[in-house]
Amino acid sequence: MVDALRRAHRMVKSNGYVVDLHPSAARACVEIGSNKTGYVDAGDAPLRHAAAGAALAVAVNERLFAVEHSLIFTFYTYGDTIEELRDYVVENWRNGRIDDETVARTREVLRVASAVRPRIREDVHIVKLRPITDVSGNASPSTP
Amino acid sequence: MAVDEDPEGHEITALSTMVYSFDGCRVVEIGCGDGRLTRRYADAAESVVAIDPDVEAVAELAAELPRVDSRAIGYDKLILPAQSVDIVLFAWSL
Repeated sequence: MVDALRRAHRMVKSNGYVVDLHPSAARACVEIGSNKTGYVDAGDAPLRHAAAGAALAVAVNERLFAVEHSLIFTFYTYGDTIEELRDYVVENWRNGRIDDETVARTREVLRVASAVRPRIREDVHIVKLRPITDVSGNASPSTP
Repeated sequence: MAVDEDPEGHEITALSTMVYSFDGCRVVEIGCGDGRLTRRYADAAESVVAIDPDVEAVAELAAELPRVDSRAIGYDKLILPAQSVDIVLFAWSL
């Protein structure tokens, strides 16, 4: 992952930037409105997402980039039914699944909240990185 | 109704706080998938190279956004000149 950032550093202009979006290491959860009914089992995804954050930290420590701006936003994925979301996760997430207990709990909540669509909630980091040095190792024009 | 990803637009809103304008920018997007994010900015950019190893997803993107240079390859296969890009975007792919 750090190597990917090193390659990006070579590719980007000295006055350009790199933007990274990656989910947080926190588990994605299933919700009906603000009512959490369970989690998405995403296999080793939390470890991979944590590693992405660590790679960014290494790239900053190596003085390849400076963090110009970062924030966390919420990314929701909605289905009409919990079964639709369950199937979506299996098809689109690497080693992802929503377990039977979460499906059952969500169905129960939906019985009394049928107008609300079930959703998956993910917290996502977005970071803007400015290159500190150019490809020849010289300070970029924006660096004092 | 199909599954809806981010109908509130939180992702593009967050990206807009990082990238004030794509106008005239040469962009490389890594992990473009079917172009969920690409289609939000591609019209403004001068050029976009969008890559993803998912062949079917990239075919969808290519059909919808023909002016995007979409390639079904991994990042390790992407070769571009040094300092040739204004914005490198890792879209859930680092």
